[in-house]
Amino acid sequence: MAHIHLEDGSFSLFWVLTWWIIALCIVGVALFLLRSKNKPEKITIAAFVTAAAFAIFQIQIPIAGGVHLNLTPLIGILTGPVMGTLVIFIVNIFSAAIGHGGWGLIGANVIVNFTEVLVAWLTFRAMKRITTDLFSQAGVATFAGLFAGNLVMIAVILVSGIQGVHQTPAQILAGLSLLAAVNMGVAAIEAILTGFMVAYIGKVKPDILEGDRK
Amino acid sequence: MSAFGENKGRIIFGAILIIVIIASLAAYQLTGHMSIEDRYNTAVGLPTSQEEEGGTFHGFSMEGNPELYLIVLGVFCAGCYIAYKHFRI
Repeated sequence: MAHIHLEDGSFSLFWVLTWWIIALCIVGVALFLLRSKNKPEKITIAAFVTAAAFAIFQIQIPIAGGVHLNLTPLIGILTGPVMGTLVIFIVNIFSAAIGHGGWGLIGANVIVNFTEVLVAWLTFRAMKRITTDLFSQAGVATFAGLFAGNLVMIAVILVSGIQGVHQTPAQILAGLSLLAAVNMGVAAIEAILTGFMVAYIGKVKPDILEGDRK
Repeated sequence: MSAFGENKGRIIFGAILIIVIIASLAAYQLTGHMSIEDRYNTAVGLPTSQEEEGGTFHGFSMEGNPELYLIVLGVFCAGCYIAYKHFRI
């Protein structure tokens, strides 16, 4: 989805390091927050969503020339933003390890994916005040998370700049806005899938929906 | 919650879905058919990649090395099994 599909060398070393440091700070805070929480069953849920996200992340779906889902909103809904941060960090590391995405972009991609996880989790919780329907709670949360992820993706690229191109920031913004709009079409598929998955989980095991916890 | 309250979520979801699909189709018409990497490269002004197409299955393809993908996925699945045996859900 909003995973930045640029090769290593697109960002300058300064920005590669900056995004990496910010991402490591986010992961560090998540690890610190996890110390005080003693919920072993969440480790199992995190393991399952990590495997599922990694599996689906690498598969290109033949829509609009090739796109992939990333399940970050589902990660947020099932594990929350704290455990979810570790999940997306692991998925990004192993994706780069098998050749999907550059190592230098992991930091930026973790920030983008963290935004998706956090916003989806917050929206899922907020939607409870509007409806009891789990499908629409999860669907709207997915749209919100992926939309926010696209905005952060655009911001990261605009702030970093791309080495070796002569386009103005306005031209890059226009190009990325169109790209984000196409991405959001894939978000529609992801929203429907996530909606069905969360509705099913809500029927068979409602206690594992992190967004349900007080 | 009233019946309208129950349906309110579906109405909001449906409205977002329609807006997103229309915007996405319009953007797709403007940018044309291209791979996700080419879409990024075009958006930021980089030359489009000349990578060879890998194997596909009914149009579905894989990013990254397939052998490594299977190995990592196998390790993750083993981790899931161990976590489930150890911690349950």
